[in-house]
Amino acid sequence: MMFLSLRHLLARKKQSFLILLGITIGTAAYVAISGMMLGFQTFILDQLVNNEAHIRISAREELLTKESLKAFPEVKHVFWSLPPSGRKDSSKIEYPMGWFSKLDLDPDVAAYSPQVVSQVIFNQAKVTRTGRIIGSQFERQMKVTNIENYMKVGSFKDLGNSGNRLIIGSKLMEQLGSRVSETLLISTGNTSPQPFKIVGVFETGIKGIDESTAFSSLVDAQKLRGRPSEITDIAIKLFKPDEAQTKSDAWKVSASDKILPWQESSASILSVFKTQDIVRNSMTIAIIIVAGFGIYNILSILVTQKKRDIAILRSMGFSPSDIVKLFFNQGILLGIIGGIVGLMIGNIICHIMAQIEVVPGRMSGPGNKMIISFATIIYLKAFGIAVLSAIFSSIIPARQAGKLEPMEIIRSGGQ
Amino acid sequence: MIKTQNLTKLFPRATVPALKSINLEIQDGEFVSLVGRSGSGKSTLLYLLSTLDSPTEGNVFYDDVNVKNISAQEIFKLRNKNIGFVFQFHYLLQELTALENVLLPARKAKVLEQRRPMGLKLLEEVGLKGLEKRYPSELSGGEQQRVAIARALIMEPTYLFADEPTGNLDSQNGQMIIDLFDKINKEKGTTIIYVTHDKEFAARARRQITLADGALV
Repeated sequence: MMFLSLRHLLARKKQSFLILLGITIGTAAYVAISGMMLGFQTFILDQLVNNEAHIRISAREELLTKESLKAFPEVKHVFWSLPPSGRKDSSKIEYPMGWFSKLDLDPDVAAYSPQVVSQVIFNQAKVTRTGRIIGSQFERQMKVTNIENYMKVGSFKDLGNSGNRLIIGSKLMEQLGSRVSETLLISTGNTSPQPFKIVGVFETGIKGIDESTAFSSLVDAQKLRGRPSEITDIAIKLFKPDEAQTKSDAWKVSASDKILPWQESSASILSVFKTQDIVRNSMTIAIIIVAGFGIYNILSILVTQKKRDIAILRSMGFSPSDIVKLFFNQGILLGIIGGIVGLMIGNIICHIMAQIEVVPGRMSGPGNKMIISFATIIYLKAFGIAVLSAIFSSIIPARQAGKLEPMEIIRSGGQ
Repeated sequence: MIKTQNLTKLFPRATVPALKSINLEIQDGEFVSLVGRSGSGKSTLLYLLSTLDSPTEGNVFYDDVNVKNISAQEIFKLRNKNIGFVFQFHYLLQELTALENVLLPARKAKVLEQRRPMGLKLLEEVGLKGLEKRYPSELSGGEQQRVAIARALIMEPTYLFADEPTGNLDSQNGQMIIDLFDKINKEKGTTIIYVTHDKEFAARARRQITLADGALV
């Protein structure tokens, strides 16, 4: 019946073309919008996942309460005129060696990097900015994050293991009015300021990081903090980032430190992505539904118009299922052709968008180009939606046509 | 051979049956016209004989096989290979050329290419040589009806049923159609059964079956 289905479509070129156009636009829109949104999402996710750590273990900030004094069992009856309050003076990971041996043995851990993270005040002449300094061993840090990819000046290795060298976020350096190889004064607030020399600049494209963060060696950061050999954080990279949540849930059972997988630390952004996905999907589904109704309408009208043809075909020995195929094929053909053309147009739009230069910022990737995803799943989904909507919208009129009895058509004079 | 046994047809919501207990036998190779006033049941009889319609009571036998006992698939095959139809309205598919229309039953039987020479020959026989590539809209009513006859004959059926084949044509074209039936019946031995209310055309058949109020006269 494909032959006759094709002839029916070709006999109504304008109608077929319009329906095709609807499906094509729907499919192309899905591909283009998904490419743009998913490209943006993967870029951001990549930064979230790989710039920070898959799992971050950090010291718990402990507040003092009445219960804190239970640590001294010999004190039985204590009455406070003013209950104790405040917090422990410093946060540190209590037993880092325990973590290290545990992480060394864990087969899922790709790398880890002990860190000292402190809130500091950067000082250049009369300009001050607050931010944080992350002290780490550069070899380990480079294994855990891909910070090296975002280096604008110098290499992350230039940090060395000591010597008060600093790698600074591009925005932060700009705000301080500073330059590479100049020296900044950095203070934690309760220790005396120490000079750090800028040896490198990084730019992740994420404003929050670029305007507040600097890296130093682990030893220098410990000295700055006035607490040698303490660490505050351990950044961990897993072989499979998706397992971060389950991994940290397992660790939480036996640990007193704070364990944060990337899914939790970037929950707000992930929820934005979800909203984006809903908008994207509902928009495309709306377009496809319109196209689907188009197919349904046209086929229903066609079935009514072609009653005589159905009667004559049935009198020649064509079966009801042949008649169903005659109309069903037309819907499917429109779906498949519209889908394929839509995929191609969507792909072209994506390629064009990938060439567009955008204002540097969160949306921009390397070279300030828009980041577009060309993931196969987008194309599979788009094509699937097009074909499925065609199937759903043509099955009803096609089956109605199959149910028509030739005698009833003839008796009614084919009307 | 087609045989009927107490063939009765009562349409839904009708009080009087359209056909009342018809017993009839038509031998292979006969040239039969069904005549009667409008409402006499002649078309109803034709469609019952041709398997397109089913009786309320009674049976139709094809070579002693009861049509009721033939499976749906076999009926489709029977219509495809052994029965040809010609209707009052020429009922050609507008999207297909004359030749493609003629070859449609062959396409269903998956013998399209084998039957192509015969399709051309049939179109020539009905006087349409050179018009094979024309679409129905480019043909006159008489020409379209002749294409429909060629289509009915493409599978070399045993039976050809025609419901008022001349009803929509002027007398000259009508004459031509009946002449063609006569020729087909003589040359190919096809059993032809046609309904007409034109006395002159009815008289051309070698056997006339007259109906009045759903009964044989």
